[in-house]
Parts: sequence; structure tokens; C-alpha cells
Amino acid sequence: MTHLPILPVLIAAFAGFVLVLIAGAPLFVQRVLSVTATAAGLVTAIVAVTAVSDGSAIAYALGDWPAPYGIVLVLDRLSALMVLLTAVIAMIALLQAIQGTDRRGRLFHALYQFQLMGIYGAFLTGDIFNLFVFFEILLIASYGLLLHGHGPGRTRAAVKYVVINLVGSALFLVGVGTLYAVAGSLNIADLAGRVAEVAPADRGLLYASAFLLVTVFAIKAALVPLSLWLPDAYAGATTPVAALFAIMTKIGVYAILRVYTVVFDAPASAAVEAIGPWLLGAALATIVIGMTGSLAAAGLRRLVAYAMLTSVGTMVVGIAVFTPASIGGGLYYLLHSTIATAGMFLLAGVLGEFRGDSGDRFEPAPRPGGWATLGLLFTALAVAVAGLPPLSGFLGKTLILQSVAGVSPTTLVWPVVLAGSLFTVVALSRAGSALFWKDEPPAGPVTAPNMAAYVPAGICVALVVAMTVFAGPISGYTKATAGDLLHGPGAYTQAVMDAGRQTSPGHHDEGA
Amino acid sequence: MLTVTLYIGFAAVIAAMAMNLYRLLAGPTAEDRVLALDTLYINAIALILLVSIQFADRIYFEAALLIAMMGFVGTIALAKYLGRGALMD
Amino acid sequence: MKLLLIVLLPLAGIVLPPVLVRAGRTASAWAAATPTALALVLLAGMAPTVFEGGVVEASWPWMPALGLNLAFFLDGFGLLFAGLILGIGLLIILYARYYLSEDDPMGRFYAMLLAFMGAMLGIVLSDNILLLVVFWELTSISSFLLIGYWRHRADARQGARMALAVTGAGGLCLLAAAILLGHVVGSYQLQAILAAGDTITASPLYLPILGLVLLGAFTKSAQVPFHFWLPHAMAAPTPVSAYLHSATMVKAGVFLIARLYPALSGTEEWFVLVTVIGLATMVFGAYGALFKDDLKGLLAYSTISHLGLITLLFGLNTQAGVIAGVFHIINHATFKASLFMSAGIIDHETGTRDIRKLGGLRHYMPVTMWLAAIAAASMAGVPLFNGFLSKEMFFTEVVVESERLGGIGWLLPVFATIGGLLSAAYSLRFVHDVFFGDETGALPRHPHEPPRYMRVPVEILILICVVVGVVPSLAISTVLATAAGGVLLQAPEPFSLALWHGFNVPLVMSVLALAGAVALYYQRDAAERWHERTFPAFTGKGCFESVLAGAIAASRRLTAWLDDGSVQRNVVLVIGTAVVMAAAGGITGGLDAGSRALTPAPLPAVAVWLMGVIATVVVALRHHDRFLALVATGVVGLLSALTFIYISAPDLALTQLSVEVVSTVLLLLALNVLPKETPHESSPGRRWRDGVLAVAGGGGIAALAYAAMTRPLDSISRYFLETSVPGGGGHNVVNVILVDFRGFDTFGEITVLGIAALCVYALIRDEAHTMASADTEARHPRMLLIGSRVMLPLLAVVTVYVFLRGHNQPGGGFIAGLIAAVAMVTQYMASGVHWTEQRLTGNYFPMIGAGLLTAGFTGLASWLFDVPFLTSTFSHVNWPVVGDFEIASAVAFDLGVFLTVVGSVVLMLSQFGKQQPPVEGR
Repeated sequence: MTHLPILPVLIAAFAGFVLVLIAGAPLFVQRVLSVTATAAGLVTAIVAVTAVSDGSAIAYALGDWPAPYGIVLVLDRLSALMVLLTAVIAMIALLQAIQGTDRRGRLFHALYQFQLMGIYGAFLTGDIFNLFVFFEILLIASYGLLLHGHGPGRTRAAVKYVVINLVGSALFLVGVGTLYAVAGSLNIADLAGRVAEVAPADRGLLYASAFLLVTVFAIKAALVPLSLWLPDAYAGATTPVAALFAIMTKIGVYAILRVYTVVFDAPASAAVEAIGPWLLGAALATIVIGMTGSLAAAGLRRLVAYAMLTSVGTMVVGIAVFTPASIGGGLYYLLHSTIATAGMFLLAGVLGEFRGDSGDRFEPAPRPGGWATLGLLFTALAVAVAGLPPLSGFLGKTLILQSVAGVSPTTLVWPVVLAGSLFTVVALSRAGSALFWKDEPPAGPVTAPNMAAYVPAGICVALVVAMTVFAGPISGYTKATAGDLLHGPGAYTQAVMDAGRQTSPGHHDEGA
Repeated sequence: MLTVTLYIGFAAVIAAMAMNLYRLLAGPTAEDRVLALDTLYINAIALILLVSIQFADRIYFEAALLIAMMGFVGTIALAKYLGRGALMD
Repeated sequence: MKLLLIVLLPLAGIVLPPVLVRAGRTASAWAAATPTALALVLLAGMAPTVFEGGVVEASWPWMPALGLNLAFFLDGFGLLFAGLILGIGLLIILYARYYLSEDDPMGRFYAMLLAFMGAMLGIVLSDNILLLVVFWELTSISSFLLIGYWRHRADARQGARMALAVTGAGGLCLLAAAILLGHVVGSYQLQAILAAGDTITASPLYLPILGLVLLGAFTKSAQVPFHFWLPHAMAAPTPVSAYLHSATMVKAGVFLIARLYPALSGTEEWFVLVTVIGLATMVFGAYGALFKDDLKGLLAYSTISHLGLITLLFGLNTQAGVIAGVFHIINHATFKASLFMSAGIIDHETGTRDIRKLGGLRHYMPVTMWLAAIAAASMAGVPLFNGFLSKEMFFTEVVVESERLGGIGWLLPVFATIGGLLSAAYSLRFVHDVFFGDETGALPRHPHEPPRYMRVPVEILILICVVVGVVPSLAISTVLATAAGGVLLQAPEPFSLALWHGFNVPLVMSVLALAGAVALYYQRDAAERWHERTFPAFTGKGCFESVLAGAIAASRRLTAWLDDGSVQRNVVLVIGTAVVMAAAGGITGGLDAGSRALTPAPLPAVAVWLMGVIATVVVALRHHDRFLALVATGVVGLLSALTFIYISAPDLALTQLSVEVVSTVLLLLALNVLPKETPHESSPGRRWRDGVLAVAGGGGIAALAYAAMTRPLDSISRYFLETSVPGGGGHNVVNVILVDFRGFDTFGEITVLGIAALCVYALIRDEAHTMASADTEARHPRMLLIGSRVMLPLLAVVTVYVFLRGHNQPGGGFIAGLIAAVAMVTQYMASGVHWTEQRLTGNYFPMIGAGLLTAGFTGLASWLFDVPFLTSTFSHVNWPVVGDFEIASAVAFDLGVFLTVVGSVVLMLSQFGKQQPPVEGR
């Protein structure tokens, strides 16, 4: 039997365990272990994507208990895609981290691996309480990573993040408990069947739990009005951590997508029709907050954090409409924006280091070494983040705009999405002008960043270009994924129901 | 017969808990509150035993045992806090 | 394939100039010129096909999901524009080689120029409207980079940003229009769209599409009121101004209008919008040009004016108008580019562009003077030059149109004449003020003729002006007919390009314009004084800047208001949203109580719960006294445990009790380094708000719980109850669920605990602990010392007992771990950190790691039997004395849980404990 669905989680988990065991070991040993584990995770992710690229699904029943009684992990097109995205970002961010950030504390790599374990598990699990557990893992690891490196500003931002997520976890439990009370199961695929059979008298409780769960996922996805934690937290994190966090908001988006399409059987059911307008409104408000925040930002990292809000809003617009074209566009845009914002965070970090005291703030500073390369990378990433042609951000945004036409209030959605683009373009052009054009001559000898510093951001640029060139196959894949999700019980549910032994296990006697 | 005894027992223990709660909330010094809490723990043990007798089930005895041990440790911690401030030096 | 190459060659050539600049500036120029020339040759090769009326097409799929293909087509109009772009591009490359100074990075310049060229070619050759939008925005981006080329100049930076904002906004409007067009026509292929003109004009979306397309075109072509970015783009180097901002990029807007002419024109809306804006722009631009003191500023406004003229012609909805418009596109490109280059030559040789400082240059640069004079004459509409011909056609069309309109239509020729007058006036000013008149002596450099090859491009363009002006039919009529045919989608009717059409109204208008211009010029001082008195200094740039500054300020206020860093506000938002959403959900579905009967509540239970409620209220109201709050919280915890016992959940009760003590110790450790009192800082209003929200939240959860518990439930728990013994080998269902059925959850949760310990450590670090001098009685009371040391083995026995019996009786690894942790923490409290760590350990990481790995390996062991992770097995064992019992492999997992819990809890508490400042009494 194949252990493929659980491999990413276990690789990261065991790497983390060993790193805890040898917590005092020299940094070099920790780095080797961490990089090896992350690379192994990347290889596994690629294998996983190819394994399910034909639309099949692989379910893994933990403890060999039949669904829906045991916990299942499910590898289908969507979860494989998200796992691959995570693995790629994790590898790139780690390449940045081993250039010096991980020196600031002896536990960075252990926390990093646990973070990955949590993210992989959240994407792969097919059980809603298990989703909660993995949320906890990734949240608490993120608290540790955020606090890593100290500084009072960082701690203050982290406290806000921690408190909000604790409240969110409590609400998650209430939501899951209520759902269980109505439907009687924790398995996502099984819930689909049970929710469909819920009596009309119980609908109120069902919808209450559905809306509550969306609220919790919206906290994670940073949808307005639950988005206030994001700018401080992301702008205050160290560079590789901020890059890795680019994927964290997408977990919330994924959870909304998975729970609503499988459990609540989008697009047909009434629960989905009820939540759609709320989601759309929240998404549009998020775009507005993101775009104004970008314009108001005083430093590059804060600008990118707000740009991330705009991009989350844009992709949730696609998801809130619940058609295959719109969700396919939303997924394509998700892939793009994660890589682009991660790349921009990485670049902001390199830039900040080499601009001395000014960091990444928009004030004149002595020109850093390697200015031309940094400028080139910045231009490419700015085009990507702003969603300008020809890069994949434009393609994704156009997919979403196209899919929304005629299905939802176009006169409301289009201006907001396009205005979001415009504001981001203006903000980034001001940023670029302030950072690269308005500089002072260098005070003394300039140290250029060594080649390795450009590599992580450069890889992100290369990936965005690849996404542009291969836009046809990739968008075809995401659209097929969306089709899988929306067209009723399919390979996902079938695989889950087949998993695990069908009879009670026997046991053998021993002893005298 | 046992039922009446149980009722009287419950009444007594609940009354004791209420009085302890009052002392805990009223104070006026911190030491008063700690002592009240400790006595509350002991009341709880009694309550559990009465419940066990009522349901004729031994399953809760470990809980009583645990309250006894943990209550003790809790009181130590509170007392050390009030005495020296530092719990572990 | 060749079509794609035409676009790709400049784009691919981007890397050559920066690399070859190391071999010298001329090498870099050749590197830029070669791809351009090659592309031009390819284009010329395809020209015969097009002249015969054919269309060259090429298409490759790119993104079918979007309807976006790499599709190109070449018709007459595209041929014309591509020829303009490549031809003038070559001349500009030559010109720039000599214009840029030694300090300017030439490689970068040519690279950006080639990028722009490729993008512009993409616009004119594209057969897919989305692809056109892609290249449209690419021209905006490359224009931004080129305007900001001299980045040390603030006006260049501002100009670049303004241009990007305005043209970028236009591009977004164009995107919206493109998607709508695709929606209406059913395809994004441009040729299909052009053929579907009737469908489009009849569709209800016609007006939005038209408006959006025009917004895109007008922003790009600097039509009123979006004209203000163009003069500020003059901060770019002159080659850029000559190429982008007169000959090519700004023509993209009129290109679009012309290209979409078959699709969108023919209606009254088209006429009104396009003609009026065109006319207004023409007059306004000409007027503005008259009073500019900067040579390039004058030319910029002149460009605006001429673009308005071209726009107007396309707005007339007539074939002759189209032909005139296309003709003027060609003519304007030639004379304007040469004028810009002349201005650049003057700037380069004299060091200034200020007309007030220039004068009498004809003595120093006679050839340049002749070239500039011819170009200016063409611009003014003097006969024998190409500008005269297109202006005549313009006047003719305007007269025809005014007759068609009737009524106030006579305004059209009047304004046209005024525009022509102003145009001639500023042309005259350009030549006369610069080359004639007296020298001012205020020139930074001694002027002389420019380098030979810098003048050659101008000479070539002027030659074209003259040839087309003198023998137009021979020179240009074929090209014109083919290009106009591309716009009209059919061959145009025969037209005349003769110089002399007889005495008619247009001729009179031309004469009036020229004469009036001369008169105005000689009265220009009076005119300037009148201008300054009448019009306030109201600039488009000022407007734009204030709008932008307003937007930024508003954004800053909004962001600061939302994001004041307050944790309370964030929590209020979260809880508030949750309450609203849950209520919304409940109301949508209709929430009511279920059908199960309620069981009676015995009096003692109610009394206990009442005490719990009182204690909770006290915590909320008296939280300023933190010690009281802590003790009351302990009460609430105890009473919760009693509740668990009441509802038959002994495992939960045990866990609650153990965690209660650990929490109390932790809070005390924290309290010691925090202030003893919370400051009173909330206003009454805020407390009411928080109170209402708290009641709503708690009440909401209570309502949900009530609704949930009063409903009968058919759930998966029945399976667990049935399978616990036969499948899991244990009588304690709760424990079997924890370590077997849902062991993966527990695996995750112990990882969480381990990570929490890591976080605490990362926050606090191993601070060195200062030792107090003596082991005094006050620090370690003897009673406690001895009592705790006796307790340790007892607690150890209890731990082992609870651990082993967990699978069948209340207990288990987690509870045992907590008990052991409490035992160890007691040692810390009683005997001090130093004593304890000497005997136990100071480093708990190995324990945590070992625990996690034990749990992990237990899970992995099942892989050896080809079953999934964490599959358990169990068997019966019979030992002497102990008897018969079942042992399950889950015990090993439980051991992992135990070790992790002990290690994590003791690490957290001991790290906190080491933070305590040693004090002597309180």
C-alpha cells in the first residue's frame, strides 16, 4: 500500500523531532538536516502531484480504521497542488534563512520543520477535527517563528497575532462541536452525506456552524474585518519567516474551499447560497483595505503585506462565486500571488540589509551594492505583485474577472478589483522610485550582496515567468481541480469510503 | 436510610463550600483566600465521595486522590508566592 | 512564424546592448539597430502580400482557459504602423548614439528602448484583443522606465509615475472593455471582433464598451482631460520624447480608435464623444503650445493638439475622414519626430531649451535651421510640405461635416480654423524665436552644428516631408490606400491627393489660418499678457498631484484608524463577527430547541454551578486585583472538574484537575514579574460595549449548546463504544479513542505541546540564574523540603499506576505525565532550581524529543506490517502474580505522550521559574 499521503507530514515531523532531540547541536548539523528534510518533502510533493494528476484520489486511513470512524488523509488534485506550493516556498525561504537569519536562536530549524508539518497536514487531512489539530500545530509554530529574533516591536505584533488566533481556535472548536452535534461525524467526506440529510428543523444549527466555521477560516485567510493582525505580523517577521507566511493565509482560503465544496456541497446547496454574498462582500472590503494600506505604507514590507491582503480579496472573489471557471481562476491566482509576494518579501529583506539604517523604508539612503540586479528583480516582482501584464498575475486576475461577468454583480466587483490593481501599481511605482531612483551616492565603499542573496528572490521570479509561459497547462489543471470540487461526490469521497479495513481486526493470543 | 444520610451529607458539604466561597471572595487578606481555596478542595473531595456512594461506583476515587495531591501542591505554590514572591529559587 | 519574429526580435535583442556596451557605445548602438533592421527587412518582405489586399496571419495557443492566444495578423494599417515604429526606431537609435552623454548608461537605454519597441509592435500586430492589452500595459511599463531614465531628476521621477498612473488606469479600462467585447462577440480574436460591428453597436453593452475603450485610448493619446501627463513626460531624454511621445506610444490611442473603427463606429455616440473630445483637445493643445517657453513643452502641447486633430477625423464617421486621419498620422510622425530631434540638437549644442534664452542661432547652425524650418512649416500647414496636404483634407472634411450637421455645425470649421491658426503661430514662434532675432548671450555653451550622424535622421525625415508634400500621389497614395483599407475593412473609394483643389472654403481657411498666425505672432507680447491675466495657474499636474496626495492622506488616515495596534479592538472584531455570523446562520436556517426531554437537575449540582457562576462573575468584575482573580479562577476550574464527574467523565475530571494546578503555578510565576494591579483604563462606554459583546457571545454559545443537546444524535460514537474492546483492546473508551482510534490527533497535540515548550524557551532563553548566598530557612522551609521529598516517590508510584491502568480505567499517559510533572515542579519549588537541576537535569529537550520520537516510531512500526501509520495491535498476556491482562501496542504510544508531557511542562515552568528575581520577603 502507498504511504504517499502521509509522507510529507511525517518527513517534516520526524525532522522536527530529531532537531528537538539534538537541540544543542551545531548550526551546520541542523541546517543539513533541515535542508534535507525540506528537499525530501519537495520531491514527495512532486511525486504526489503526478500521482493524482489524472483526477484520482488516494486516501490513507490512519490506524487502519475504516472511514468515517478513523482519521483519513486524502491526496487529490487540490491538496497535492497546495502541498507542492508549500514545498516550493518552504525550500526557497529556507535557502534564504540559512544565509544568516537562523543564527538568531538555536530552535529556528525545529520550529520551521514543525511549521511545515502543520501546513502539510492541514492541506492533506480529510477530517475536520484533525484540521483543527493541524491548525494548532501550524499556529503555535508560527508564534515561535514570529518571536524568533526578538525585539520589542516584533513581540508586540506577535502578541496581537497570538491572541487573535487563540480566540479563533476556541471558536473553531465551538463550530466543529456544533457541526458534530447536528451531523454526527467528523470526517469531511462523510459529513457531505450526512449534511445533505439534515432535517429542515435542524437547519438553523447547521447554518450557524457553517457560518461560524467560515468566520474562523476567514481569520486565517485575513478577510476583513478579521484582517487587522496581518500587516503588523508580516511586516515585523524576519525575512524567511515572512516569505513562508505567504502560504499561511492560503490555508484559510483552502479550508473554506474544501469545507464548502465537499461538506456543504457547493454550488447547489442553500448553505452555500447563503454564505456567498457574505464572502463576496468580505472579499471586496478586503481589496479596499489592502489597496489603501498599500498606498499608505511607509516601508516596502508593509506595502507587500497590504498587497497580500488585496490578493487574498481577489482570490476569494473568485471563490465566492462558486463556478468552475471562477474557482479555477482563483486557484491559479493563488499560486501566482503566493510566489510573487514571497519573492517580494525576500527581496525586501535583502534590500533592507544593504540599505543600512534606512532598511526598507521609503527614504533616501546610500545606494547599496548590486543595485542593478536588485532593481531588475524589483521590477519583475513589482509587475508580478501588481498583476500587470505580461506576468501570471494579470492572467489570473483576468480569469477571475471573466468568470464573474454575468454571474455576480459585475458593476460592483469589476471596479473594485481593477481599482485594487491601480492602487497597487501606483504604490509600487512610488516605492520603486523612492528605493531605487531617489538614492544618495554611497558614503563609503559599498559591499554588494553575494550571489547567494539574490538566489531566493531570483527563483521566485523564474517561477512566476514559468507560470506565465505554461499558463495554458497550469490553468487547465486548476480548472479541472475546480470541476472536481464542484461536481458532487467524486473521486474524493469514493477514495475515503474505501479506505481502512472493512472488518473488525482480530487479535492473536499469546502467553501461557 | 442511606438516602437521608446522603441528603444531609450533601447539604452539609454544599453549605461548607458556600461558606468557603464567601471567605474566598471576601478576603480581606490574600492568606484568607488561600486557606479558603485549600478548604474548598477538601470539600470537593468529600463531595466526590458522597457522589460515589450515591451511585455505588468506585470509578471516581482516583479523582479524589488527585484532588488531594494537586490541591496540596497548589496551596504550596500560592503560599510560596505570598511568602517570598519567587516560587522557584 | 515571421510575424512572431518581427515582434520577438526587438524583445530578444534586449540583452544585447547592455552586454555589448562594454565594447563601446557604437557597438551598443549596432546591437540595438541590428534586430530592428532585421525586423524591418522581414516586414518589407511581407509588404507585397499586403499591398495586394491580403492579410498575413499567425497564431499559437497560450492560455485557452482565458481565450488568450499568441495571435498576430498583418494588414495594411498594421503594416503602416509597424513600418513607422521600426523605421523611426532605427533613426532614433542612430540619433541617441550621439545625443546621450558619456555619463548616461547607454546599454540600459537601448535595452529599454528595444523593450518598448517590441511591445509597441505587439500592439499593432496583435490579433487577439487580450494580447493587445498585454502589450498595451507593457508599453506603459517601458515608458515609465524610459521617462525615469535620468532618475536623479525629481521632475523625471514624478513625470514617470504620473504617466504610469494615468496610462495604467487607461489600460485597466481597456481590459474591462476587452472582456466585455469578448463576451458580446463570443471570441477574443480581433478580426472576428472587427467583423461583428453590427452586433456590438446593437448590444446593450455598447455604451460601456465604447466608454471604456475611449478611456483607454484617450489616456494613452493624451486627450483632454487626460493630457496632463505628456508635458511632464518631457523630462525624458529627447530620443525618448521623439520616439515614444510623438511618433509611437501616444499614437497607440489613435491606433486603437482606428483599429476598432469597424467595430465601434457609425453611431451618434461615437460621433459625439470622439469628435468633441478631439476638437477640444486640438484647440486646447494649440493654445497651450503658444505660451510655452520650453522647446519640448511647446512640442508636447503641439503633439496633444495634433492627436486631437487625428481623433476628430476618426470621429466623423466618414471614409474620407479616415483617410485624412491615416494620412495625418504619417505626416505628423515625420515632422514631429524631426522637430523633437531638432529641439534635442539645439539643447545638446547650446545647453538650454528655454526659448527666452535662445535666438539668432541661424548663424551657428544654418543646416539645422533649414531642417527645423521645413518641419515647422509642415506642421503649420504651409503648402509644398506634407502637413499642408493633410490639413487641407482635414479642413475639407470639417466643412463637409458642418454642412451635414446644419444648425450649429458652422462652429466646427470656425474652431478648426482657430486651431490651425494657433498651430501656425506656435510653429512660427519655434523657428523665429530660436533661429532669428537677436542673440541673448545667455547660452551655457557655444553653439555649433551637431555631429554629422546626429543630423542624418532629421535629414531623412525632412526629405520624406518634402517628397510627400510635392508629389504625394507618387510617394504615398498606395500606402495610404492600403492602410486606410485596413481600417475600413475594404478598399477605399478613390481619393485625390492633389495639391490644388481650386478655390474653395478649405483653401480660404488655410490662408486665414496662416495670415492670422503671422498677425498673432507679431502681437504675441500682448497676447501673453492677456493670457496671464485671464487664466489662473491651474495645471493638470497640480490637479493630479493633489488628487494623489488626497488619496494617500485618506489612505493613511483610514489605515491608522483601523490599525491602532490595539489588541482589544482586534478581539472585539473577531468575537463580534463570530456572533453576527453565527446569528445570521441560525436565523437563516431557523433555530429552535430540539425534541429531547430534559433530565431533572439535582439541588447539589445546581448549587455547585451557581457557585461557579458567582466565581466567574467575580473574576470579570474584580480582575484588577489579580491575585483574587487567580484564586477565583482556581475555584472555577475545580467546579468544572466536579461537573465532569457529575456527567460521568472521570478522565476529563482527572485531566482538568492536573491542568488546573499546572496553570495555577504558571500564572503565579507570571504574576510575580507583572504588576500586581491592572490599571483602570477603560471608559464606561467601552465597558458596556465589552459587556454586551461578552453576554452576546456567551449567550450565543449557550443557545447553540442548548439547541445541540436537545437533539437526538446518531453519530459515530456508537462504533467506538462497540469496537473499543474487540478492536482496541481497552475498556476505557476515552483512552482508546485518544491513543488508538484518533491517535493521530493526539500525535499532533503532543507535538503542539512540544512546540509550546520550544516557544517558551525561545522567548525566555536560558537566563543565567543568580545564586543567593545561603540556603536560608526562609527560602526553603524545612517542612516543605521534607514533605516534598517524601512525596516524590509516592507521586512516582501514582504516576506509574495511572499510566498503566489507562487503557482500561480512567487514567492514561497524559494524566500520568502531568502528575509526574507536578511532582518535579514541587521539587523545584521546595528545594530550589540549583539543587533540583543537579539531580534531575537542566536540559529537557532530549526528553521531549525522545517522547515525540517514541510516539512516532510506534506509528512507523506498523509500516513493517504494511498497514497505515499508527495501526495498533494487542494481545493477552498472563503473568504469574499479576494475572491475565491485555496489553496493546498503544502503550508505547502512550509512553511517548508521557515523556513529551513531562518534558514540556517542566521545561516551561522551570524556564519561567528561573526568571524570578530573588527577593528577601514580600
